[in-house]
Amino acid sequence: MTSLVTASGVSKHFGAVRAVDNVSFDIEKGRILGLIGPNGAGKTTLLKALLGLTECDGDLSVLGLDPFRQRKKLMQQICFIADVAVLPRWIKVSQALDFVEAIHPNFTRSRAEELLKQTKVQPGAKVKELSKGMVTQLHLSIIMAIDAKLLVLDEPTLGLDILFRKEFYANLLNDYFDEERTILITTHQVEEIENLLTDIMFINDGKILLDSTMDELGETYIEVMTSGENAQKARGLGPVAEAEMFGKSVMLFEGVSREHLEGFGEIRIPSVADLFVAKIKEARR
Amino acid sequence: MIGHYIALIRRELWEHRSIFVTPLVIASIVTLGTLTTLMFAGEFHQQLDLVIFGAQNVAGDTERRAILTGFFVGSSWLFLLGLGVLTIFYALDALYAERKDKSILFWRSLPVTDAETVVSKLLTAILVIPAVAFAGIVVTHIVNLIVTSLWVSSKGGDAGVMIWGSVPLIDNWLATLVVLYAIAIWMSPFVGWFLFVSAFTKRAPLLMGFLPLVLIPMIEGIFLRSGHFAEAVWGRGAKIPVFADIDLERFFDEDRLQVRDEMVSLLSHLDPVKFLTSPDTWLGIIVCGLLVTAAIYVRRYRDES
Repeated sequence: MTSLVTASGVSKHFGAVRAVDNVSFDIEKGRILGLIGPNGAGKTTLLKALLGLTECDGDLSVLGLDPFRQRKKLMQQICFIADVAVLPRWIKVSQALDFVEAIHPNFTRSRAEELLKQTKVQPGAKVKELSKGMVTQLHLSIIMAIDAKLLVLDEPTLGLDILFRKEFYANLLNDYFDEERTILITTHQVEEIENLLTDIMFINDGKILLDSTMDELGETYIEVMTSGENAQKARGLGPVAEAEMFGKSVMLFEGVSREHLEGFGEIRIPSVADLFVAKIKEARR
Repeated sequence: MIGHYIALIRRELWEHRSIFVTPLVIASIVTLGTLTTLMFAGEFHQQLDLVIFGAQNVAGDTERRAILTGFFVGSSWLFLLGLGVLTIFYALDALYAERKDKSILFWRSLPVTDAETVVSKLLTAILVIPAVAFAGIVVTHIVNLIVTSLWVSSKGGDAGVMIWGSVPLIDNWLATLVVLYAIAIWMSPFVGWFLFVSAFTKRAPLLMGFLPLVLIPMIEGIFLRSGHFAEAVWGRGAKIPVFADIDLERFFDEDRLQVRDEMVSLLSHLDPVKFLTSPDTWLGIIVCGLLVTAAIYVRRYRDES
């Protein structure tokens, strides 16, 4: 496996605030990584450092380039959707395509036009005349027509309704992703993307709490729904989190084998959201 | 590389429609002024016949050229005025609007450097805006000459002799072009300053752009009892070294009691070499360069989050 992104001791300070605090990780080619964290956890700052939009301390290499110093070269191979609102309101759909075509060496205009034909977005319309969902469709059509090695999505579906969100991720998986491409997503709506992720990273207060593949996650973390005497015994194994549900105890274990737990009750793979909450609580303890 | 700049400048023209609208508005005002004048003049039949007769038969080529040049210069100055205001507003908006509407994140997600982007905005201000204004001036001149010719013909005058035979189009247009670009270069430190303000200010770019230009001279006046800054900033426009020194004795032909032929040429009053060799011109270019570099630096290093 080749590393697409290598971060080693990366930090970013804003005065006394450590937005990103000495983090190290690798992202390998052909993965879909979800970067999950509460507001102000440092997600966006970390993405901006990866994209060369902000300077940071430590060693950071993206596609073998220094993002901040070689941003132009990097942007030929990276695509980035920050938020639905970033397309300029005055631009016409056709002008946006004209501009990207002139600027981007890896953009295929016919592909973008093909994708736009599947939507209600008209080439002559201005961005300010489009609905929020249509603006995202436009941006995604542009992005998907760029042959990029890494796609970075920062809260791409913020403010969109559920239909658009589902369609957005379906398009991304079916029409875009292949083993040559890598996707990095941050979002609040973890449950919507957890099925499409191959890797996951939790970030809080600028630190990485968890960095794992989804496969490993299912082996390392196990949830048991139990009650009564079994609950007492299970508690003895030191769950990382416990919650009450329908009169039963739901306990989350880390690194305890499945065989060990099977006798106590119903075994489940925890949802990313539950795991996230447990990890955050653990970190705050 | 060049392709990038063309795309970036085209982008500026899409966004800032005022670059086209302003010359169009001025052209309309000038043409409307001409039409009004002609209609008004049409009321004075007898005097009009006399004037047309005089212009056609008594006046020489030099006088006719002088009058037409006067009209040309007048309308061109109106364009220059509009151009100045347009450029100030354009430069103040150029790096501010993209931050305000957050589209900067989209622009910066494409393979274009901050330097290319800022330089494309500088080029738009000092190359493209004057070029569009020049086109506006040429079209205005032609339209107004045609309107006036038709009117003269309808009054029984010979437009071929009175207007087209005498009009010093090339001389006027070349002179206009020289003056337009000389002013753009001469005033470029202001463009640099407004671009810099546009790159850093969080709000009210117009206020932030002009406040220092007003406050610093006041502070200098109060504490140092001098006016160097005010002189350098507010006095600069009037000191543009592009006009040739006019020798008044050579201006007027005492024998024939009229302006000398060659003095009617606008080009003869310009001195591009003097402009390009003036240290003040180059000082301005350097100041502009420094301010534009500062604007690039701010766009690159500033973190919006």
